[in-house]
Parts: sequence; structure tokens; C-alpha cells
Amino acid sequence: MDNTNESRTEVPYGTLDLMVLKTLDTLGPLHGYGIARRIEQVSQGGLALNQGTIYPALLRLEQRGWIKSGWGTSENNRRARFYSISPAGRKQLAAEAENWSRTVAIVNRLLEGES
Amino acid sequence: MSVLRAAFARLRGFLRPRQTDARLEEEIASHLEMLAAEFRARGMPPEEAIPAARRAFGGVAQVREEWRRRRGLPWVETLAQDTAYALRQLRQNFGFAAAAILTLALGIGANTAIYQVLYAVAVRPLPVPQPQQLVELQIVQSGKPQHFSYPLFREMAARQNALEGMFAVSEFPLRDATLRGRGLPQSVHGALVTGDYFRVLGITARAGRVLTAEDDRQSAALAVISDRFWEAEFDRGAAALGQTLDINQVVVTIVGIAPPGFFGETLGQTPDVWMPMSLQPRLMPADYLNAPYFTWLAVIGRLRPDVPARQAQAALDALYRQNTSLTITTAGPPAHLELHPASRGIDELRQFADPLYVLMATVGLVLLIAACNLANLLLSRASARTHEIGVRLALGAGRGRLVRQLLTESCVLSAIGGALALLLARWGSRALIALAGQQISLPPAFAAVGFTAAAAIAVTCLFGIAPALAAVRVDVHTALQASRARFGGAPRRHVLGRALVVAQVSISLLLVSAAGLLVRTLWNLRFQDFGFEPDKILQVSLPLEIGRDTMRRWNALRDPLYQRLNALTGVRIAALSSCGPFSGLQHTSPFSAPGGPFQESDASRMVHVSPGYFQTMARIVTGRGITAEDRDGAPLVAVLSQTAARRLFGAQDPVGGFVSGSRTFDAAHQLLVVGVAHDVHFTPRDPYGFMVYVPLAQSQAPITDIELRATGDPARLAAAVRTTIQSLDPRLRIGEIRLLRDTIDAGLTQEKMMAWLSAAFGALALLLTFVGVYGVIGYTVARRTQEIGIRLALGARRGQITALVLKNVGLLLGVSLLVGGAASLAAGRALGNLVFGIGNPGGTLAVAALSIAAVAALAGWLPARRAARLNPLDSLREG
Repeated sequence: MDNTNESRTEVPYGTLDLMVLKTLDTLGPLHGYGIARRIEQVSQGGLALNQGTIYPALLRLEQRGWIKSGWGTSENNRRARFYSISPAGRKQLAAEAENWSRTVAIVNRLLEGES
Repeated sequence: MSVLRAAFARLRGFLRPRQTDARLEEEIASHLEMLAAEFRARGMPPEEAIPAARRAFGGVAQVREEWRRRRGLPWVETLAQDTAYALRQLRQNFGFAAAAILTLALGIGANTAIYQVLYAVAVRPLPVPQPQQLVELQIVQSGKPQHFSYPLFREMAARQNALEGMFAVSEFPLRDATLRGRGLPQSVHGALVTGDYFRVLGITARAGRVLTAEDDRQSAALAVISDRFWEAEFDRGAAALGQTLDINQVVVTIVGIAPPGFFGETLGQTPDVWMPMSLQPRLMPADYLNAPYFTWLAVIGRLRPDVPARQAQAALDALYRQNTSLTITTAGPPAHLELHPASRGIDELRQFADPLYVLMATVGLVLLIAACNLANLLLSRASARTHEIGVRLALGAGRGRLVRQLLTESCVLSAIGGALALLLARWGSRALIALAGQQISLPPAFAAVGFTAAAAIAVTCLFGIAPALAAVRVDVHTALQASRARFGGAPRRHVLGRALVVAQVSISLLLVSAAGLLVRTLWNLRFQDFGFEPDKILQVSLPLEIGRDTMRRWNALRDPLYQRLNALTGVRIAALSSCGPFSGLQHTSPFSAPGGPFQESDASRMVHVSPGYFQTMARIVTGRGITAEDRDGAPLVAVLSQTAARRLFGAQDPVGGFVSGSRTFDAAHQLLVVGVAHDVHFTPRDPYGFMVYVPLAQSQAPITDIELRATGDPARLAAAVRTTIQSLDPRLRIGEIRLLRDTIDAGLTQEKMMAWLSAAFGALALLLTFVGVYGVIGYTVARRTQEIGIRLALGARRGQITALVLKNVGLLLGVSLLVGGAASLAAGRALGNLVFGIGNPGGTLAVAALSIAAVAALAGWLPARRAARLNPLDSLREG
């Protein structure tokens, strides 16, 4: 991993949940490692994600009933815990995604107006 | 919904922490392996792949911590964790923990004990329904409340409609009535109540029934007894109902038993028997019921919900003004009627509340000193733990988290101390009430829990917060270099420690000097010159029983009693008296001499004496005493006290002159002054008094006391005297037989209580101060071990080292004595009339300051000596 990249941004507050839900919605059941890798790939190295932080986030989502988890076997034959999105999670994802787009749009308009 | 679900999930995690934790560990392990495998696949050397995976993963510890915070109920877990840790810490420092807990238990326990009594005395409402509706009706003249006469009460009760109801109750006359027929004649506390008494108070009987308006109308000879009397006399037997009691020779039948805890309407009184008001003429020698000039009743009413108190007062005042002829007020401005809140009943304990407030302040200050001590102990401990705390901070512990943990330790101390305090308090309250000689029922124990908890929390905040904050205010870098702390350390912490010592030494001075004043007060009252010899005079008190045949019996008894007692072997002289000094009774009257100024009645006493009185009590200064010739029918004579002689006759010789018991001299009732007696005190607090002695044989007063002087030990006469009196009149009730000194002491219970308790708390304050100063100076010495070692190595003499340390003590002491001295002077004034006979408190203050200085010097000298004896080599090596 390249730690010297100056243009990497911190994970904005509250967006990790959204990214995890979207990942599970797109890719289906996945273990923590897979989710972390996927987020890094999509961000193309633009996000400073400590992969470990994914686990407290997964626990939080599970406690809310938005994802489910169970033990399974990974591609290289390891026992791993797989997470999948629940119907409630899909609903939440839709709501959050729309909310996020709206926020981004507002901020964008603001910034364009400023410059 | 999801919030609720999350809460459940957290609860599950809280209950099964191991399972979820294991799951995380496994996930982290497999994550790291997969990551490392990928790095290897990308061509990284295997030995670098694993560290690289760890870096990419981020802090494993932080993830775990974050996970745990999410997993269960973190604050409960932290609390449990901190408590367990605190208990472990305290077990390791058992001595510290025991000292702290004991200090807290004593401090909080004393506070709770006094609070319980103060609550019962000054706060608690009467144990009746809706006590806040009760009001006391008072006739007020020139700002002074007057009692009601029965005719006025009767008229107002019949005609008023502003109140739900009202009742009158006798204040004084039957408090020491005589109960016969149940063993020896004994004292019984009776109360006369009008018909609506129980109805207005809202009290029903626990067995039988209460007295009603009908009983009162019919003058029914019935009685309701108190729960306490039921237990004492009837052992709580059901047979009590229907039994009869012979009270002042009136036979009444018990119809009911009052509920437990009901003590009537007057705080500080606990009547045994309530009887209908209409029995009064049979129980007492005069009929008060139709006499406007006997004002002897307290009146209480219950407000109607629909009539505000102001309106009720206006209506009742108008009614009173129409009926002023039915009660007698003294000459002066017109009186009016006022309503006063009486939710707490009629308060006879107001005088007892003052000393309690002083005690409450005292124990509050003791607790403050204890808190200062604990704070200092914790500060020193925090310093000892600087290194440990530095390590923890360096490893990433949050300061808030550390403060919380240190505070938990304080809370654990307080909780254990508080629990012990509750046990101590119950016992302490009872002891306090017994010591004060009061009759007060305590509130139930659980009522004190709230106060104790509040006190414990307050004291924890006082002693816990500052040290905890100071403990984490360390610079990690310095803390880890342990040796540097020995020289510099945290100066701020040191300032705090010194401030705490100054506070506690000042408060100690305040407490010790106040204790000094109160002890001197007791001493002054007890050992003042009374004008007679209290250690040599045996006093027999004969409780005043006013019945219909009282005077006839006294007249028959007087001469035989005098002769038989004087004939007893061992008796040098015996005298009879009525309403004399230390009899508990007084007979006041105005006095005047021809052409002279008159003496108001409230400060002049008339004492009725037999021959021989002036050989036992006050001795004759000029003229003669009362003799056997001064009998009924002979010229009326009187002996004046020196004060009375001076007031009535000025510089003239009063012997041969005349006085009369009225405001203007009345020649028809004049008394010939035959002598002047040395001044005596009537009660301990009275100054030498205005007294006029008259012959018992001429005044026909009941005998209330016998005074005897013995040839040997007066106390030995008691049994013989008792037999002699009983053989003359077996129906006579005999009170205490004791030395006058003991009578005086019995009247000083409150002063004794204040002196002993304040002295005990003063001593406790001194002890705590000793520990506090010792702790702080000892700690200073420990911190400066290396410096002292260097000084010694460079040739400093041991005396210089001692002086160096003691200079510290001296400075602290000087500041404390200034602050504490000023506070003490203010406190001395605030004590008001709790102190007696102390013109200048300076001496007491000086003695208190000296004792504090001695204690502090000793506490400082011990560590100083240790410092001076240091072996320079050892102390340098230690660094």
C-alpha cells in the first residue's frame, strides 16, 4: 500500500456505513476483507481507510438489523464470516443514497456559486 | 425500531461478551492472513508481508476497543471494570483504605445522626393527615403570644365558621400528674383536650375509640392512652381497654389507645393520657372553665380547603375582638388574633434546635477536614503513581478515562464509608437524644438514606475530583523520566496540598476554640458561686400535686414532717421550702416598699420556707431568719435577698421596714422585714436574684422541696428520709432525693451535651489535622530525599535540615492560625447565648491555637527528624 500519497482523504463521517451497504448490495455476501478491498479498489487509492475500522462498522450495521452475518469458507479455503444485506438494509441504503446525493448536490451548487 | 433492536443486540453482547469477542479475534486473524497472502502474491517477500498487512489493517487494539464500545453496554462494563480495579487497588493499600473508610464512616455518620435529630426537631411535620392545614391561633399583644382562656375558646369555637374545626389543649397543669393504684404513686403526663381534638387532628384509635365532642359535653370520665404508656403499663395487653386509672384522685376509664408514633400536638412532649377538658374542675383545685383570668390553653384549628388562611385570620380576629372580655390580657396596647402555620405542631423544642444547628455545623466542618485529609492522601498517592499514569497515557489511555477510574476509587471509598455511616448514625441519633434528655421519636431509618447518600456524594466530589484531575495533569515525557520528578515534579499539586492543609488547620482551630468556649461555659455554670454549698445539701423534691384536699394535707403534714426529719440521726438540720432555687418551680410576684420603686413580677421570686432554711441554703447577713415563732396568726414577716434589699431600700437598712407583694405598697398586706439573706442563684443561668422569703406557716404554700444538711455524708440519709416521709403519708409521691449538685447537673444536660460533643469533635479535628500535616510534610521530605542527601553530603548539619523542614510547617501554621483565628472569633460571637460567663474569648482562642500549634509541630517534627537522620549515601543512591 502506498502511504505517501498526499491526495488521500479521510473517510467522511457516516459514509462508511453507506459504502459497506452499497458494496454488499452490489456484490452479495462478502467477508470483511473483501468489503475493505472492494472499497479501496473503487476509491482507486483515494481513500485513507484503516481496514480494521470496517469491523466496528459491520457490528453497528448488524445490531441495527441492516445486515446479517454467518460463518462460511473463503475462496482460499479459510473460515471467514460472511456478511449480506437484509431487506431493511436495502431500504436504508436507498434512503441513505438519496440523502447523500442530495447533500452532495447542495454542496456542489454552493461551491459553484461561490467560485 | 432499529434503535430498539440495537439496544437488544447490545444487551446480548453485554451478557455474552466472550462469544462476540472471539468472533472478532477470528475475523481479524483471517483478515490479516488474506491480506498478507495478497501481498505475497503481488511479489512481496514473505517476511515483509505480515508487517505490511498489519500496517494496512491499522491499530488492532483500537479496533478491539471500538468494537467493545459498540458491542455491549460500555458504561456498565467500564464501571464494573473500574470498580473491580478500585477494589483491587484498595485491597493492596489496605491501611490507606481502612483509614479512609473509617474517617468517612465517622464523618458522614456523625452528620447523618445529627441530621436525623434535627429533622425530627426542626423539619418533620406532625404525623397526622394533611398537617399543612393546621394553624395555631395566637392572641398577640405587643408582639408576645398569649394563651387562651377557656371561656374565650368556647365562645369562638361555637361561633366561628372559617375553620374546619378547632380544639384547645392544656399546656402545663397536668404534665406531672399523679397516678395511683398501680404500685407506688408515680408521675403521669396528662393532657386535657376539648371534644374536637382527635377529629380535627384526624387521628383514630389503634384500639377502642378516641374521645369525642359528646364525651366532653357529658364530662365523661374517660381517657385515651398513648401507645408508649400502653406498652409501659399494660405490656400491650388487650385488657387495657375498660381498665381504670386513678389520676389526681379522679378515676377515668380507658376507652382507646392512640396510634403508635402519635405524640399529640406539641413537639418535645409525649403525653401518656388524654382526657376530656370538662374534667378539669375535678382534676385541679380551681375551676378554670368559667374563669376569664386563667389563660392556660393552646388552640389549634384546621383550615377549610375553600377558605384561604388570610381570610380565616380576618374572620377569627373579628370574632376575637367581639369577645375580648372573655380573656384577660395585661394592660397595654390592644391584642389581636393571628394564625400561625402549625404543620409541625406547637414547638417546644425551638431552644433545642439552636444547639443542634451548631452541632450540625460542627460535624459538617469535621467532615470537611476529613475530606481535606483524604484529598491530601489521594494527592500523595497520585504522585506516587505519576510514573504509572505516565505509562498509561503514553500507551494511549484517554485522560477522561483515567479521571473516571480514579474517581471510581473515591466513590468506592465513599460508598463503603456511607454504608457504615448509616449503621453508626442510627446509634448516634439515639445516643444524642438520650444525652440531651429529650423525648423525640426518630424518623424511620430509610429516611436517612437519602441524606447519607447526598453527604457521601458531596464529600466524594470534595476529596476526589481535585486529586484525580491533578493526577492526570502530568507531562508524559517528564513522568516517564522518574528521577526528574523528585526535584521538580508538579508544583501545582504541591500548592493544592498546602492549601488543603491550611484549610484543615484553620477549621480545626475554629472547632477547638469553639469547643473550648462550650467547655468553659459548662464549667462556669457548674462551678460558679451559687451562694450555697451544692455538694453538702441533700434535696428531696416532692412533686406538686394540686388536688382538692392538697392544702389541708400539707397543713397537717408540715409540723410533723419538720420535727421527724430534724430528729433523724445523721441530720444536722432539715428545712422545708416551696418554690425555692433549683426546685423547678417559681412563684413570682411584684414587690414594693413604701415610697420606693416597685419591682416587676417576672424577675422577682417569692420563696416559702420553714425554720432552719437559712442554715441550709442562703445564710443570713443581717437581722434574723424565719423561726418557729413566725406561725399562722403571728405578724407577717419576710427576709429579703441582698439584691431585693438593694432594689427596694437602696442604701438604707431594710430590717424593720415593710414590703408588700404588689406594684404599689399596700399597708393592709404588709410584711415586716426581719432579715437579709446572702444572694443565691435561682437557676444556673440567672444572675443573683431578687428573692423574698416568707414563712411557710404563714403563706400556706404546698411543700415542694426539703433541704437537709448531714453530720456525715448527706447521700447516706436518702433511705431514712424516704421511710420517714412515707410513714407520715403513704399516699405522698416522692420525687428525686439527691445532692443539690446533682439537681444542678440534671438541669445542665444540654450544656453538658454541647461541651462533651464539641470537645470530642474538637479532638477528632486535632487527630485529623495531625494526620494531615504529617502526611503532607512526610511527603515533602520523601520528595526531597535526594536534595537533602546532597545537602548533607555537602556538609549541612542535621539541625539545619530539621529547621528546613520545620520552616515549612511554621509557614503553613502561621497562615492557618491567622485564617482560623479570625473565623474562631466570628464563631464565638455566633454561638450567642450558648456560651455563658465568658467576657473575653481571647484566652480560650490562645489555648486552642497553642494546642493546634503543638499538634502541627509534632506532626511536622517526626518527618523532619527522619529527614535529618537520612544517610546521604543511601538517599543519593535511591535517586
